[in-house]
Amino acid sequence: MDDIIISADDLNVGYDRKIVVDGVNFSIKSGEILSLIGPNGAGKSTVLKTLAGYLQKLSGKVTLCGEDTGRISRDNFSRKLSVVLTERIRPELMTCREVVETGRYPYTGRFGKLTVGDTEVVEKSIKMVEIEEISDKDFNSVSDGQKQRVMLARAICQEPQVLILDEPTSFLDIHHKIAFLEILKKLAVSGEIAVILSMHELDFAEKISDKVLCIKDGTVTKSGTPKEIFTQENIMSLYDISEEMYEKYFR
Amino acid sequence: MESRKKNYIFPIFMMILLTISVLLVNIFTGSSDISVRETLQIFFLKNKGSVNYDILWKIRMPRALASMLLGGALSLSGYLLQTFFHNPIAGPFVLGVSSGAKLTVAVSMMFFMSAGIGMSASSMVVSAFAGSMISLGFVLLVSRKIKRMSMLVVCGIMISYICSAITDFIVTFADDSDIVNLHDWSLGTFSGTNMNDVLVILIFVTVSVIGTVMISKPMGAYMLGENYAGSMGVNVKFLKVMIVVLSGLLSATVTAFAGPVSFVGIAVPHIARVVFRTSKPLVMIPCCFFGGSIFCMVCDMIARTALAPTEISISTVTAIFGAPVVIVAMLRRRQGEL
Repeated sequence: MDDIIISADDLNVGYDRKIVVDGVNFSIKSGEILSLIGPNGAGKSTVLKTLAGYLQKLSGKVTLCGEDTGRISRDNFSRKLSVVLTERIRPELMTCREVVETGRYPYTGRFGKLTVGDTEVVEKSIKMVEIEEISDKDFNSVSDGQKQRVMLARAICQEPQVLILDEPTSFLDIHHKIAFLEILKKLAVSGEIAVILSMHELDFAEKISDKVLCIKDGTVTKSGTPKEIFTQENIMSLYDISEEMYEKYFR
Repeated sequence: MESRKKNYIFPIFMMILLTISVLLVNIFTGSSDISVRETLQIFFLKNKGSVNYDILWKIRMPRALASMLLGGALSLSGYLLQTFFHNPIAGPFVLGVSSGAKLTVAVSMMFFMSAGIGMSASSMVVSAFAGSMISLGFVLLVSRKIKRMSMLVVCGIMISYICSAITDFIVTFADDSDIVNLHDWSLGTFSGTNMNDVLVILIFVTVSVIGTVMISKPMGAYMLGENYAGSMGVNVKFLKVMIVVLSGLLSATVTAFAGPVSFVGIAVPHIARVVFRTSKPLVMIPCCFFGGSIFCMVCDMIARTALAPTEISISTVTAIFGAPVVIVAMLRRRQGEL
């Protein structure tokens, strides 16, 4: 199974030796999208933070491109994996293009000067997420939907093999949610990138995911294909929804 | 596409030219009238022995050079702290870093004087560095609990008052004749520097500036926040330590030789941002440095000539010009313009 890009084996994650989520197992290939669903506070972000290397894993193994993540150097890691976080940034006096350009960080030299090749990747990323018109505007002056796309372009620009996104669509309206996910899907398939994201929009998660992990009460309750996951009983138990409410809101 | 890329080399070159011109004006003007011709003669022919020779080489030159280097250092120190806290209101003076340095320098000076040992210029810097690290360390501890910059500034100003109070106390009770200088110094002044001091300043400032340029790339990534910087491969912990040490070293050098100088650290980087409309570290570093040099040299010229022969303390002048800029900076930030 050489084309598995990222996998987790019996991964336990948490803070200061206190386990937040245990038993995380998955493996995904390039072009696939894995979504993490589950109630608020279940630990989806903790799992993503651990995969992205912000948090030390408590036990288990994460393999990225065939290597144990613990053995990959900081530089190499950042060339293989990039992120779009929930935190909102407020950089001063930076245009959207300049924010995207920071994604070239792992590739540039001592003083961060962009080469012609770097600029090409930046332009390609900007085109991919369709932010050409706003690219020279101040980042702080554009809308949330546009900011999120800029952050995606920044992550793409890092030319990763794995892209991790923490609730990337939460602040967006329906139009922008769909547009964002559409770009993501296209990116995964055409760019041969494996995508891992957490989401609250079940209907969208069902449509775009190849694999789904359900996280609740500190453990992975179920994993599988969208078809296996998005059943009435599973969703009802995952989110503690009564049958009456399910009928009312999901039908 | 190229038109979008602003060219920063020309403006930076202009700033260097301006710095040199202000430096020359500073050397050519003063309370005793020395003609331009005589000044040039003294410079190139080096006819020693005259009073004017001493005035130029022992008073004006070192003072002008010191205000140039220290002004740049102060402004750069402010820029580093602003980058660290992601906030344009941070600076060595308002965070109590300058006053911490002032206190330790005063204490160690007193200690060495009572022991009958004169303090060397570099040991003053070391002592000031220790003081700035202690107050900065305290501010950093508070910043773990309190995320709001305004509260941090209040905390910094309180530290600053405590340190100043203790320093004043020490200075008042010291009866040594050398203490007269200490009093002037504790208010902030560029006077009394000699060429030997300038050399020490030059070494410390050069080392810190080179260090700052070396971390300009990770500093650019750090502007997107610690987590994004980490995801790009920046060693965030190391970077943060570097920023704190470098800004502490820069402001310690200033405090050791000129005492606490207010508002330059906030005002100059703010003006640089407004003028250049960028936050790229590689552009901001030279702009802040030379901007600070120009600002301090002009302020020092006013300090020594406005009410000549009486001197005004440098902080009085920098506050008059710097504080309004800081207020504007705060207001603009509120409106979300910056």
